[in-house]
Amino acid sequence: MTLGAPRPRVALFVTCLVDLIRPRIGFAAIRALEAAGCAVVVPAGQTCCGQPALNSGARAEATAIARRTIALLEGHDAVVVPSGSCAATIRVHYPELFEHDPEWLARAEAVAAHTYEIMAYLDEVRGWRPDTALSGTATYHDSCSGLRELGIKAQPRRLLNHVEGLSLMPLKGAETCCGFGGTFCVKYPAISNAIATEKAAAIDASGADLLLAGDLGCLMNMAGKLHREGSPVRAFHAIEVIAGMGDGPAIGEAS
Amino acid sequence: MSARADILAKLGTAAPPPGAAEALLADPVRPAVAGDRIATFLTALALPASGATHERIGTVAEAPAAVARYLAEHGLPAAVFLPDDPRLAADWSGFALSPAITPDEPAVIACARLGIAETGSLVFETGPHAPMLPNFLGLHHIVLLPEAAIVAHLEDAALPGPQPRAHYWVTGVSGTTDIEGQYIRGAHGPRFLHVLLVGEM
Amino acid sequence: MSAAFSKRVDAALADPILKIAVERTAGTAEAKRAIAVDAFAQFEDARTRAAAIKDHVVAHLGYYLEQFEAAATSAGAHVHYARTADEACAIVIGICKAAGARTVARSKSMMGEEIGLPHALAEAGIGRVETDLAEHIIQLADERPSHIVWPAMHKTSEQVSALFKQHHALPHSEETIPAMAESARRHLRQGMLGADVGISGANFLIADSGAVCTVTNEGNAELSLVPPRVHIVTAGIEKLVPSMGHAVQLLRLLARSATGATLTQYTTFYTGPKRAADPDGPDAMHIVLIDNGRSAMREDGLAEMLRCIRCGACMNHCVVFRQIGGHAYGGTYPGPMGAVLTPALDGRAASRDLPNACTLNGKCQEVCPVKIPLPTLLRGWREKSWREGLEPATMRQGIAAWAWVAQRPRLYRLAVRAAIFAIRRFGRGWITALPLAAGWTAHRDLPAPDAESFMSRYARGER
Repeated sequence: MTLGAPRPRVALFVTCLVDLIRPRIGFAAIRALEAAGCAVVVPAGQTCCGQPALNSGARAEATAIARRTIALLEGHDAVVVPSGSCAATIRVHYPELFEHDPEWLARAEAVAAHTYEIMAYLDEVRGWRPDTALSGTATYHDSCSGLRELGIKAQPRRLLNHVEGLSLMPLKGAETCCGFGGTFCVKYPAISNAIATEKAAAIDASGADLLLAGDLGCLMNMAGKLHREGSPVRAFHAIEVIAGMGDGPAIGEAS
Repeated sequence: MSARADILAKLGTAAPPPGAAEALLADPVRPAVAGDRIATFLTALALPASGATHERIGTVAEAPAAVARYLAEHGLPAAVFLPDDPRLAADWSGFALSPAITPDEPAVIACARLGIAETGSLVFETGPHAPMLPNFLGLHHIVLLPEAAIVAHLEDAALPGPQPRAHYWVTGVSGTTDIEGQYIRGAHGPRFLHVLLVGEM
Repeated sequence: MSAAFSKRVDAALADPILKIAVERTAGTAEAKRAIAVDAFAQFEDARTRAAAIKDHVVAHLGYYLEQFEAAATSAGAHVHYARTADEACAIVIGICKAAGARTVARSKSMMGEEIGLPHALAEAGIGRVETDLAEHIIQLADERPSHIVWPAMHKTSEQVSALFKQHHALPHSEETIPAMAESARRHLRQGMLGADVGISGANFLIADSGAVCTVTNEGNAELSLVPPRVHIVTAGIEKLVPSMGHAVQLLRLLARSATGATLTQYTTFYTGPKRAADPDGPDAMHIVLIDNGRSAMREDGLAEMLRCIRCGACMNHCVVFRQIGGHAYGGTYPGPMGAVLTPALDGRAASRDLPNACTLNGKCQEVCPVKIPLPTLLRGWREKSWREGLEPATMRQGIAAWAWVAQRPRLYRLAVRAAIFAIRRFGRGWITALPLAAGWTAHRDLPAPDAESFMSRYARGER
């Protein structure tokens, strides 16, 4: 059962990290969206939403990227993004960039209003449930931007609860930042490491086989730390499991 | 330019729109205080965080006996500091009364004007018969409070009209967690707070 | 990263005792706050109202300052204005000297720290008794506070014991915390009762009555402000509220956010000096209203920061503060609120790292009782810093290059292909070392990219 328009034309904005590091997430997104009755297009000119520039204070650069991205994404029934932070950049921050530019503000707000993080889109807009199975235990980390800027909390859990055979174990401090923070982790590596070390300990203590989250940056940070410490926990983007691709290679496992 | 003129010039002194400040007082968001205010007050007073004890007495005349019992329970002699407060008029002849407050006064008697049910707080003001220092110096603070003087909320605590030097709320005993987070009662102020709730005053 | 900040951070991260202290202090505060918030059904609505009250005051700050001044003056207080920290200290020292003060008793005030009052008093040869237990410990250790609510949270009981044995006339004999606290109680009593001047801060300034509100848990403020002949208040101009009813709504959030209590043990409103017939109280009250950058903050896009009621919740919940503690921030105020204030108070160049050493996770904003958009304000500092060219050249060039390529998709695809090729030479699965990425690989492994990017595979028809 799905809600919303009969066959919405959805633009997938895969994000620069997914494109570069883990394309599987993009293909999982397409699979899930099609299962939810969407016609998926992938605008060819997409590159990056501009978040690194935005968070560095490079407003002019961020604005230039935003204009390009808005023009690229306009005109679809929805824009869906497998990342809370990139979705928030478009949905929350693009309109802020055009505060004093009425023409672009209107365009930014129009795109923003139709831009969704993928699990929120599948769960709340499409009312879709996965029809797949994966045996094992998983724990879910709430990436900060998705959680606090977009209210992503219950949606991934509702979707994952429908994956037959998968048990979700609570993660102590699930809402605590993992220490990635975009450029923060390379500008302040020692502090980031201290934060990530605690997060890895909590993940290990959860007793789960799998770590899931909605943002690849956070996942790379946590999985990278877990692997460096010899933890057997394997990490996937939640959409991979939801799309029935959780049996493939985990993050960091050569494909 | 004087500092005053400089600062006010930078800020501008235009008045807010009429009623704007008052509108922010309407329907304050606060925990409900239902029904029995006395019970609510005593519940708040009895919370571990407060550290206070209490006893209910009928009239002020019964206060000296109640105080004597309290001091005996704590192994203290019948010696108190009693301010020259007409609300405390009773037969205190069984006590050694300190002529002036001392830094290590064992027991201080006082009268609170109000109690606040919402928080279990006691409300005091300074006045010709109400010195402030003793209420913070005594190790044991024994406070009389008329039952009828328990109001519901913090908003009800204010004294109308011109203000005294100090209007203060006491909510439990003095405490600190400044050394390794360990809770210590009676950091500087009273270590013990005993409320005598008076039926008729 | 500035060398100074780097050094402080490294020292903090290498200090296991600091870690224990921060976890205990902030972790306990976090847990207690959560209980208090759960028990207060409309906490969210209370936050909204509190933010509205502070925004209203900040928007009409000059009006409320004048109203406060008139009311306080007619209650018998003297009101002074100070534009800067130096002006404020000069006024305080002037009042102390005119009163012939040899010692002052201070109750805890971050404003005093901010303006450098301890140093000014020392220079003027005026003895200073810090009466708040933590401030007393800090004074004995000759350090600065490391937290705005628990200034001595970084000290162990062993360190406190040593300080007390060194400085107290009749120190504790048992090595227990209650015994140490008793020693401080003994030692500070005479100091509080014998001081010539009492100096406090203000949690709130009540405009319509001219009252100054302080909140404490120990009772030291009252003990410092009743016996002396003179009571001096040092207060930021943003502490104003229109009336006691407005203050009450903020008071409901303050202790809950700071310690999880419903109220602090003592909430006192002082209106002018003692009245003629009062048996005790100071003969004179002086209120020093301090700007020190606040009016500039209001005009420079930082008006929301002026809502701050100094509860400390932001730092208690900050993942960065939880790792590095308060001293690493290098300013008067630590944590998220310190990262926003320090550039305004101490200048941008000196404090550039603070807005950057933040993951922008937003927890601080979530717990702030007055809903200050801290991440937005921190990003604002980053923007200012960028516009003024204060960011390092490598950073500016890197971002500029990224942005340039990101607007040219064909070039971008080539760059992605090149990057994949280059990175995969260091591993096909987990990479443990990668040139130019030492910041990452020093501490964690890096997953190698897949052989081909998503966009390339999709363009070839893969689904």
